[in-house]
Amino acid sequence: MTNTATGELLAELSKLPPAVTEAYEAVAEAMGDSFSDEELALWAREGVAIGTQTVRSWESAVEYYRVSPEVARSLAFASFMQWARCGTYLSQDSPTLAVAFFKASPTIVTNLRPQYIPRWAGLGRSLYKGTWKSSTLAARFFEVSPDLVRNLPFWDVEVFASLIEALSYKSYDVAAECLVLGRDVLPGMGREREAFLSMSRALTDTSWREVKACLEMAPRALQHVEEGQTGRFLRLGERLAKMGLRDTSRFLYDGAQALSHVSAGSQGHILDLCEGLLATTPDAVPPFLKSLDPVLNRITLPQLDQWYQQGVELLNENPESGIAFFKIESNTSEAMLETLSSSLDLERVKGIMRLYTRALSGANIEVMSTEELVRRQIGWVDQDTASTDGTKVYLPPMIDNYNDKSQNFAWFKVVATHQVSHLEFGSFEFEFDRPANVFDDRRIAMEESIQARMEAIRTAAVENLLVQDMNVSVGPEMGEGPGGTMRVYTDIGRFLALFEDRRMAFDLFSVLEDCRLDYRIKTDYPGIRRPALDVQGDALAQRPRVEELPLQEALIELLVHMSLDRFEGLLVPQEYREEAYMLARIMHRLRTIRASIEDTAEASLRAYEIISRLQNQQQPEDEYQPEDLDDPGEFSEEEYEALLDKLQAQMDEQQGEQGEGDPYESPEPVEYRGDFKPEMVQLLTKLQMDQSQMGDAEPMTQEELEQLLQDSAELELDAQEGDVDQSMAMFAQNIMKEAGVPPPSNDPGRGYGPILHDDDAGGELEALEPKTYVYDEWDFRANDYKPRWCIVKEKILDEGDVNFYNDSLRNYSSLLAHIKRQFELIMPETWRKTYRLIDGEDIDLNSALEAWADLRMNVPPDEKIYWRRNRVERDVAVVFLLDMSASTAEAIDEGRHSVDDRDAPDDPVEYMVWLRRRREGLVRRHYKRIIDLERESCALLINALESIGDTYGIYGFSGYGRENVEFYVIKDIEEQFNDKIKRRIDKVTPLHATRMGSAIRHAITKLENQDAATKIMFLISDGRPQDRGYSREGVEKEYAVHDTHQALVEAKRKEITPFCLTVDKAGHDYLKTMCGDLNYEVLDDIWALPERLPMLYRSLTMVR
Amino acid sequence: MVEANIELMEDEPSFKEFAIEEFLVRSEPYYRAVGDELELFEAAYEQHIPVLLKGPTGCGKTRFVEYMAWKLGRPITTVRNQASQEMREGEVRVPLVTIACHEDLTASDLVGRYLLDANGTRWIDGPMTRAVKAGAILYLDEVVEARKDTTVLIHPLTDHRRILPVEKTGNIIEADDRFLLCISYNPHYQSALKDLKHSTRQRFISIEFDYPPVDVEAEIVAKESGCSDEDAHALSRLGEKIRNLREHGLAEGASTRLLIYAGRLMRQGIPARRACQVAIVWTLTDEQELQRSIEEVVYSIFE
Repeated sequence: MTNTATGELLAELSKLPPAVTEAYEAVAEAMGDSFSDEELALWAREGVAIGTQTVRSWESAVEYYRVSPEVARSLAFASFMQWARCGTYLSQDSPTLAVAFFKASPTIVTNLRPQYIPRWAGLGRSLYKGTWKSSTLAARFFEVSPDLVRNLPFWDVEVFASLIEALSYKSYDVAAECLVLGRDVLPGMGREREAFLSMSRALTDTSWREVKACLEMAPRALQHVEEGQTGRFLRLGERLAKMGLRDTSRFLYDGAQALSHVSAGSQGHILDLCEGLLATTPDAVPPFLKSLDPVLNRITLPQLDQWYQQGVELLNENPESGIAFFKIESNTSEAMLETLSSSLDLERVKGIMRLYTRALSGANIEVMSTEELVRRQIGWVDQDTASTDGTKVYLPPMIDNYNDKSQNFAWFKVVATHQVSHLEFGSFEFEFDRPANVFDDRRIAMEESIQARMEAIRTAAVENLLVQDMNVSVGPEMGEGPGGTMRVYTDIGRFLALFEDRRMAFDLFSVLEDCRLDYRIKTDYPGIRRPALDVQGDALAQRPRVEELPLQEALIELLVHMSLDRFEGLLVPQEYREEAYMLARIMHRLRTIRASIEDTAEASLRAYEIISRLQNQQQPEDEYQPEDLDDPGEFSEEEYEALLDKLQAQMDEQQGEQGEGDPYESPEPVEYRGDFKPEMVQLLTKLQMDQSQMGDAEPMTQEELEQLLQDSAELELDAQEGDVDQSMAMFAQNIMKEAGVPPPSNDPGRGYGPILHDDDAGGELEALEPKTYVYDEWDFRANDYKPRWCIVKEKILDEGDVNFYNDSLRNYSSLLAHIKRQFELIMPETWRKTYRLIDGEDIDLNSALEAWADLRMNVPPDEKIYWRRNRVERDVAVVFLLDMSASTAEAIDEGRHSVDDRDAPDDPVEYMVWLRRRREGLVRRHYKRIIDLERESCALLINALESIGDTYGIYGFSGYGRENVEFYVIKDIEEQFNDKIKRRIDKVTPLHATRMGSAIRHAITKLENQDAATKIMFLISDGRPQDRGYSREGVEKEYAVHDTHQALVEAKRKEITPFCLTVDKAGHDYLKTMCGDLNYEVLDDIWALPERLPMLYRSLTMVR
Repeated sequence: MVEANIELMEDEPSFKEFAIEEFLVRSEPYYRAVGDELELFEAAYEQHIPVLLKGPTGCGKTRFVEYMAWKLGRPITTVRNQASQEMREGEVRVPLVTIACHEDLTASDLVGRYLLDANGTRWIDGPMTRAVKAGAILYLDEVVEARKDTTVLIHPLTDHRRILPVEKTGNIIEADDRFLLCISYNPHYQSALKDLKHSTRQRFISIEFDYPPVDVEAEIVAKESGCSDEDAHALSRLGEKIRNLREHGLAEGASTRLLIYAGRLMRQGIPARRACQVAIVWTLTDEQELQRSIEEVVYSIFE
């Protein structure tokens, strides 16, 4: 600056109070470093301009000069002047404002892009309304600005400022308080800030006082809400606020409380429900959220949907009562909760039921929902009826028969016991030729006579054919197969083929078999007698009235009654008293532990012979008289035959006299006994057996199977008319699939069952390339392995920069020292001799001498004179499996550091370079991803492991699809530690999906070849296993979780101790299934991973 | 023989103390043979062939050895509460030395060691040495648990040499003619690491034990616990059902011993369900779901 110019300036400055000149002179020299002379002049002049705006603006000028050097360091001259001019304008309005502005500037300019500075100044200005209070508020804004700008993106600052402005119209005090609160609260909010601000903005219109309360409440409330859901939750609040909800802070608090009680994965669902309510009756949302907690204490989440649905229906009818419903202030609501809470889901007791049935039967039984059975479409159609196919017991998915949970459970148990008894007492082991125990055998004679009769018919038919037309069909009603020989596949089928009315025969067979089983259960399991009696009692209450049925059905109903342990006061048609007594005798004979399934067959044969000879006609009601049938006398074959002869004679007499009577209809099923399908079970077993011993006998073709199914009495019962033919082909195909028979390949016309999943297409894989391995995969639905299902490709990870390893060690140096110390403590423990023991390997000379001396001195010696080596030598091999799935790229706690513009350079050229680099992703991240922590932990661990000399391998896994399970070697288990490995750690990056099972299996193979006393597999993941096609029928999670579980179990079987560590906070729900009784840990605070991992490892491998 | 001087007075604690190699099984232990194990053992004993007993815990291995010691020794008369164990005429003594092996059991624990006493050191024979000298049946229970160096002792004793080298004293002891080594081993819960080495295994004949069939077990439970036949039968059926779970989460099935415990509690008037709960369910597992499942089986069988 020229001297003249300086002189002029000083002259002008002298017009202002001397403080201004002083301030100028204090910094003038320093400013010379930043600006040229010309620029200096402009800078100095601006100060004068500021100082001369109003009477008191000299104060602003002083501040201007004071902060200039600092600001100049961050701003180029043009931006600097722009900044100064902003100050000038402010000073014009209010010197106080300008002072605050200048004071805040040094920090601001380092954090805010220059082009935003005028906008920032404008924000402050907008708060100033010319009053004293407003100027205080605006000044306060500038005061808190440095913190705001540092921690929030600028647009959030703008929104916040406008919120404050809106509040300031209501109350300056509240606005000022909120300003300060906002400074403290907003930075911690992370990505929900935007939603929160816009909710608050909505509040200023309706109930502005709430804003402050919300700000106070927010940090505490929101921490309960799942990260991804906070935004939705706040938007919900916003919409409610817009609709005029008064106490939003209350809503915030209650809502967050309620959500905090919901498991993390389900919060989204709750919010769905809330949004549903919002659409119709916003007023119902707060009570719903408020009730959520008590309601969920009583019922499960799926049940909540039912309760909610009911509430919504009520709302539609009458909003008042709907809201009362959600407040649980209505009887409907209470009653509904009562029912729901007492009902019992199969899912919840499945584990217990499975073990229970396994214990009882001694077979490897699975318990499944009946829905599953129906879905398989192999002949079972009833969703609510329990059944068994010989290897699995199917139970209804839910029971709400009683208002009491324990009663519902007892029902489940009775039902399960009944199903298992089919297996335990051999319902499916019927053999046609095996003699019965308590009856004489009539089956074989009967079969012979039928065959003889048929032979006669056939001969007659052939003769007829010869004489008459060629078109007469040969009695298909006799169950004759093609070619004239009966092809009977199962023993049950062979038995049922004896009867003309197979359905009736089968009904009788079922009733009598159930009677036999219930009797056996009662004698073998006295403990279940009482609940069984209750269930039978309930079943009895639902039976139709005997006297209203036609005769045949009435008699069968009588049998059903007796099978349910009801013998007294039964209504018996007097005319058929003798028949009823005979039936009762037959049934009583079965009630012994000696009776076998063959006896059931004999009994049903006899019952059939009697009942089929009667006409199915309605009997007059007065015919029926109560009788006690608890002791009808002993059954005798002679009496039976006499009765049969009599009936036969009557029948012959009546022939042609009267009509046939009503068509026969099966009795109502007894609910708790479920579906009994012995023929299907025998069929499945037989098919499977034929399949496994291929080539032995000619396997059944699909046509034969269809024919067989058509003849089956069991299917007739269930399938609806007309449905049978269509579904038969499908049934047959599904059954063959079930039995493992490949479906016929050249049969496009028929169509297969529903295609399950595209990934199921294709089949076994083969490892052709080197370093690839094939593994089976566990299908929990089939309860079996899918053979050679996945290919694991082993690759050595690329090498990166060695610095990552070294940096990690440096960054965690204090932790590292701690870990090392801990690890070193393990070592001496294993080798050190322990002295001064009462007993040990040998005498310790020192102690012995002491003792000896004591003895000489006549002092009782110390008897602890032995030493011993520590008992276990450390011999550990360990494999670490790192999850390298894409999800590990997720940033941790992003809200903690804002990543936007804070490190953007001010210079436009530099800025462009920075921007480009940032786009290319080359700029060093300032936030950490899960995988970064995994890598760091890995580095720490390697360091620790090297110090104790355990054998270890570190691998990463990822992949996509079953043919591409990638298995990356970071350190192979046999490899020595070297710099290459340090470099590989740098290259651990998030890749694709997580097919854990196969990766675990490959790790098992690695460990198996190790000869170590203790083998450990350590799995570190960030969430559920998942992968394309690691799923079936939309139960993706289940399938993957079960496969992983199975892989872990395999490890356990091979003497490898698996351990799962997950950083997924929602991990508890699936880890329980995945790990079973194996060890796992959910790390709540991911930042603790580097510390926790080595410690966990240490405790895991400590001397057992 | 060391023996506590017992005066059978009221309220006086009464016990018997024997030197380890002098313990004879005097009264006939209850043992219900399931197969031909009695004949096999007797034959092996006569032929000096060591015997390996395999089988799950609590199925009667120890009882069997005890019984065989009694049977092979066969004292002429058996008198209850007989304090002295004097040799009677014609009596053959087969003492029984039982050692439960544990992971800290070393060879010197078995062979013997020098002890200090007032006048210097004194050699004390270990139980194995004493058994070898006395011609006892030496029964090493759960032998795989013992340290590996014990095999050094087992090997020379179990082949034709029948000698016990005592390293520390520099002696070799030839076993008495009546001496027999018998070890037990539970294949179920041994990890592969702790398996018996084949060189060891192949010095023994192996007799496999398993839980007896339901009816036999019911008989045993009834006899041992004194509960009613009906209860005993129910208990043995319970045992059978629970053993079905062995591969499904239970490490070991309910042993006959546990069934007997339950029976005894029932005999003392504890309700059946409760007795089974404390004697069986809670003993077998800590896992909640498994406990619940077994309890349901108990509730089905017992009223």
